[in-house]
Amino acid sequence: MIGRMLLRWELQQSLRSYWFLANAGVFVVGGLLLMVFGQTDVSVLGYRGFARALAALVQLALFFVPLMALFPSTAAIAGDRELGTLDYLLAQPVTRGEVYSGKWAGVTAAMVLSLSLAFAVTGSIAAAKGVPTGLVAALLGLTVLLAMAFVSAGMWISAAAASRTRAVSVGLTVWLVLVALGSLGLMSAFVRWGLPAGWLQAWALLNPVEAYRLAAVAILSPELELLGPAGAALLERFGRTGLVMGATGSMLGWAVVGYAAGRWVFGRAGA
Amino acid sequence: MINANRLSKSYGDHVVLRELGLQVDRGERVAILGLNGAGKTTLFRCLLGLTGFEGDLQVGGHLAGPHGREARRLIGYVPQQPPRFDLTLDGFIELFSALRGGSAPDVRKRLDGLGLSVREHGRKSLRDLSGGMLQKAVLGIALGAEAPVLLLDEPTANLDAGSRREFLAALGRIDPATTLLFASHRLSDVEALADRLLVLSEGRFVYDGRPGQLWRLAGGIELRLMVPSDHVEALARMLESRSGVRFVRANGTGVLVRVEDGRELDLLLAVREAGIPLLDFRTHPPALEEVMAHLSEAE
Repeated sequence: MIGRMLLRWELQQSLRSYWFLANAGVFVVGGLLLMVFGQTDVSVLGYRGFARALAALVQLALFFVPLMALFPSTAAIAGDRELGTLDYLLAQPVTRGEVYSGKWAGVTAAMVLSLSLAFAVTGSIAAAKGVPTGLVAALLGLTVLLAMAFVSAGMWISAAAASRTRAVSVGLTVWLVLVALGSLGLMSAFVRWGLPAGWLQAWALLNPVEAYRLAAVAILSPELELLGPAGAALLERFGRTGLVMGATGSMLGWAVVGYAAGRWVFGRAGA
Repeated sequence: MINANRLSKSYGDHVVLRELGLQVDRGERVAILGLNGAGKTTLFRCLLGLTGFEGDLQVGGHLAGPHGREARRLIGYVPQQPPRFDLTLDGFIELFSALRGGSAPDVRKRLDGLGLSVREHGRKSLRDLSGGMLQKAVLGIALGAEAPVLLLDEPTANLDAGSRREFLAALGRIDPATTLLFASHRLSDVEALADRLLVLSEGRFVYDGRPGQLWRLAGGIELRLMVPSDHVEALARMLESRSGVRFVRANGTGVLVRVEDGRELDLLLAVREAGIPLLDFRTHPPALEEVMAHLSEAE
């Protein structure tokens, strides 16, 4: 009951913020542009062309969705603590666990809503062009999992950080390491020091961004050049279903472990 | 209603509360006085479960602390800095009365009684309300679920004079059965609200008694005597010559004088006998620093 009240409140707050609206807007516009570019492919290649356009949407998602998730989640606890509103909330007959889970669920629900809106627009066009709606729904599911992984990580950072600025800074560093530098930096390191290929494959599965990319591409278009060397090796080793399940499990693991760790840190703060 | 036994709290090597003992009965109005850093807010944070502690602390028979939800249910809390959530006044009332298990219409009615019209201000953001209005809203929420204990942490510290007067008047109208525990460093607030005073210094209670008694012990009572301007000088001269007078300061409208414990009535009679027309007089408590200095000397 209390958790539901806090969820609704956090959701309303998130939906009122310009950050969510702007990101949902960028995502929709980006998706539409990709659809328009996909038209050329469609006329020649039919359904596979749109799947490629959806793969480009995946590319957009793996840069944007972690950012969309990290900004509100890193501010969720640290920001309220800084404003002094968190103490007032915790002074009510609520538990720290209820407050944490309410905030987590609220930010996640806002993410699900904005992603659903974006996918509804782009997906309906794709569906009209013959892409199975199940494919679009699967992609939405994976994107929601990616968002959940980063909401959990962001809330954990927020619970542990001394200030909002520090929480957002750490969140951006995590984004930079996992999204921007992750694949390129690691690939360079592997080439430079000749690390075993298994490490690169493990990194590809353990990094939620890479896991999302692999699962999405494997669902949409399991072509070697889109999966990359680590993904291709994983595909060969585990097969398509195994790769999708492993990658999905990795994102789910991030979401669950991040949530549990953040809740533990937040609970300890009052001890 | 509130029981603390050997309550201690430290942050690293810094001891904030040292084995405090406290018993507050139902309906008591207790002020906790202390300089900044004395441990007032920490004591409140312990009661509200916002921080852990050592020792035993109970509210209404329920253990207080981070897991003390039942203890928190009995406490209505008004912080020094009212919370400026991103909510309208209506939204704030709805959410927090529900969290406290109270009803929003009841809180609205109470706020009307406190002089804050929800009909007029309900759609305003909390961030647009004045400090006094917001503090009243927080008080309304605290009273809404009929919590038997009201905890106020320097509630008038950030209010202007008018809002402070209104807020104190509103507090004066609450149910006499409500236990009031409030921290302050304003002796005038203590005088207006409390029938028992606890003075906290370096994590220990150094005084537990009636507020007026402490004022007397701590260097006497200040009297402000208002007389016609052409009598000010004569009054000041007369007062300076009397025994038991600590200091005399005159200005255009009267004289401020401090007298020893129990001498204020003698002084007023002496003014009358001297034929000086007394227009009005007021008593003031001494400054907090003087009270604290007195208690330090007494130790």
